[in-house]
Amino acid sequence: MALALVLVFVTASLLMTKLVDVQVVRASELQGESEAIRTTSETIWASRGSIVDSFGNDLALDVDRYDVSADPSVSGDFRRAGETLSLEVALSEIADITGANADEMLFAIRKDPEARFTYLVKGVSPEVHLALRELGIPWLQMDLVRERTYPFGPVAGNITGMLGTDQPLAGVELDWDECLAADNGVATYQRGADGVRLPGTTETVVDPVHGGDVVLTLDSDLQWYVLQQLAEHGSRLGAEHGSAMVVRVSDGHILAAADWPTFDPNDFAQTPTSNTGARVFSSPYEPGSIMKAIGVAMLIDGGYTYAEEKIVAPGIFRLYADRYIKNYSVAQDTQLTTAGVLYTSSNTGLSVLSSRMPRATATSYFQKFGFGSATGVDFLGESNGLLKTGDGLDIVSRYNQFFGQGISVTAAQMAGSYQTLANGGLRVPLRLVEGCVSNAGVLVENPVQEPIRVVSQSASDQVIRSLETIVAQGPLRNVLGIPGYRVAAKTGTAEIANSQGYGAERVISLAGMAPAENPEYVVLVSFYKPQTSRVSTAAAPAFHDLMSHVLKHYRVAPSSEPAVLPPVTW
Amino acid sequence: MTARVAISGASRRRSPVTAAPATRQETSTTAAPKLRYIVVTLAGIFAILGGQLLLSISVSSGAYEIASLKGEMRQSEQSLQIVAEEIGALTAPDTLASLAGSMGMVEDNNPAYLRVSDGAVLGEAAPAAEAGQGQIYTVTAGTEAFVPVQIVTDVFASLSAQAAYELSAEDALRAAHVPVVESGEAAIHTAMVTQPVPVATFGGSIPSPITR
Repeated sequence: MALALVLVFVTASLLMTKLVDVQVVRASELQGESEAIRTTSETIWASRGSIVDSFGNDLALDVDRYDVSADPSVSGDFRRAGETLSLEVALSEIADITGANADEMLFAIRKDPEARFTYLVKGVSPEVHLALRELGIPWLQMDLVRERTYPFGPVAGNITGMLGTDQPLAGVELDWDECLAADNGVATYQRGADGVRLPGTTETVVDPVHGGDVVLTLDSDLQWYVLQQLAEHGSRLGAEHGSAMVVRVSDGHILAAADWPTFDPNDFAQTPTSNTGARVFSSPYEPGSIMKAIGVAMLIDGGYTYAEEKIVAPGIFRLYADRYIKNYSVAQDTQLTTAGVLYTSSNTGLSVLSSRMPRATATSYFQKFGFGSATGVDFLGESNGLLKTGDGLDIVSRYNQFFGQGISVTAAQMAGSYQTLANGGLRVPLRLVEGCVSNAGVLVENPVQEPIRVVSQSASDQVIRSLETIVAQGPLRNVLGIPGYRVAAKTGTAEIANSQGYGAERVISLAGMAPAENPEYVVLVSFYKPQTSRVSTAAAPAFHDLMSHVLKHYRVAPSSEPAVLPPVTW
Repeated sequence: MTARVAISGASRRRSPVTAAPATRQETSTTAAPKLRYIVVTLAGIFAILGGQLLLSISVSSGAYEIASLKGEMRQSEQSLQIVAEEIGALTAPDTLASLAGSMGMVEDNNPAYLRVSDGAVLGEAAPAAEAGQGQIYTVTAGTEAFVPVQIVTDVFASLSAQAAYELSAEDALRAAHVPVVESGEAAIHTAMVTQPVPVATFGGSIPSPITR
């Protein structure tokens, strides 16, 4: 009896000791251990903001993708609907759905049978993910990842730029990263044996911060069309590359800024880096005669001439002993008006006029037109071009500048200067980014820059009337003319400088505006190193197609007032 | 309790005559509440325990519901994304252009406008050139030619299937010696009436274009 009592006592005290040990002494340690087993953490994905065009079309956005992986240590036969299926069968099913190579996947699994993880296919779409899940393969694992896609492919790649594995690499993606960037969050929660979250255990450790959307002024339909035209005419001309811009006159919005050849930001690994940027902003060139319209506007505004002024354009304009300026084709003296200087694109006539303007005055006009400094866009890596000033401005360049040699500009600067002419001499700095729509849905506007008065309304009107003569009466009237519309445009053929001076290669351009009586749109197109034809007339069909498309696309009413054009000769 | 008993004891000592009835009265009033207290307390405790049990059962079954609803939401979000991506691919300018081209549409860059107020025709209309239209140029260099996503290929496939069907309907009509009245259009019209062309579905995402 006593023995039994002792036994009970000993057992009880042993149990008590254990109880105290578990419940009191090691309580917190054990509890922590068990919590660690139950607790898992997960990434709360945050979306990088989208880049959208002015109509809200996504040019760049984040989408869900899945990385498909396998656990080689358990990859093998499995049962489905009463049948046993082999690894090979499973892989061929996966290959059918994903388009991946079954043999490569088999190799990845067989390579290290002890491994617990190997990727099979990366970045499959949600559709494929659902289809794979229905296969019911037990060793298949799919992890959600976020991927950047550009639904319109190469259409606006030059502007949007692209995203590398981790960070933005170029364009708006990089320049506006502060707006677009997202920070993934982290949450922890505890789960039961069956994988269900235990209620009340979810804890957000780090809140996800979604990125804001960047709204551009681009019209992706137009941008696509412009790019197609560049490709069509550029390949016809055998050009090295081409660029084009469409600008809305009233507010300086860039509706299209295309570079050809361009790249697909979805798949740019094979693209040479020369094609992965925005040449419209980053690559300056000597624009040639399209600059003459700017030069004449400066001269008229400064009171040095007027559209109808009668001058004699010499066959040769001598600068000093053995340096002279001549014309493209005309060798004898010609009786031209100032409008006629533009009409015939006379280098010597323009030199007669520009000799009247002090060089410092000319420089300050060029600066007001926006040359020598970045446009209002201030695109990432934008070039300022090269405007020689002060002592750097030699006598040859001082004259050459007026017809677009000895000065280098970007297509964007050039389009901006034509916007100035089209807008009655008031330059509205170019605009590409409207602003950033924060994740709360508030548009933080990219500050609108103050317009700059460059030349008078009268000066710009006189230049536009002069440019109209080129389209209405010039040799290119059948190519450039758009039935029903008054168009003002200027051709340009610029020599490309190489190490030996100016060579045989050319840049051919056309810049212009319509409708001429009240310009609404500016179109600029240039081709670099065309081979089949090296004169600016070769760029005319491209300009015509772009301008007529723009007028139709934006439903511009045909011109109703007849043009009263200045005489070009006397 | 004890304090009260002590007090009643004390009062008994002070006035024994009146103490007895007072004590009886007091015990009868305190005994009944004791039992009531016990019952009420126990019932309260059990009610609380029961309630807590029910609550935790419902919370944990709620967790299962939340988990399944979250899964459902995730799936809906995913279907939304799948559809949105399809729409994106279908609204891409080059897809639209090549779809339009495959339907025989051409671009006319010389439109004219009719002014409603006075019926005046503005602009000079010119017929569109047919040659060289509808070609889509590759605009990239150094990358392989653009591969359209599945949905786009599907739409193209159903479009050409429909076109083929219409053509075969036309042929069948001719073979059956149905008098072809002057224009082929009238014949097709008859065919449409007697034997409606099944509408291609395009995955239900875009309306079936009627090209005739």
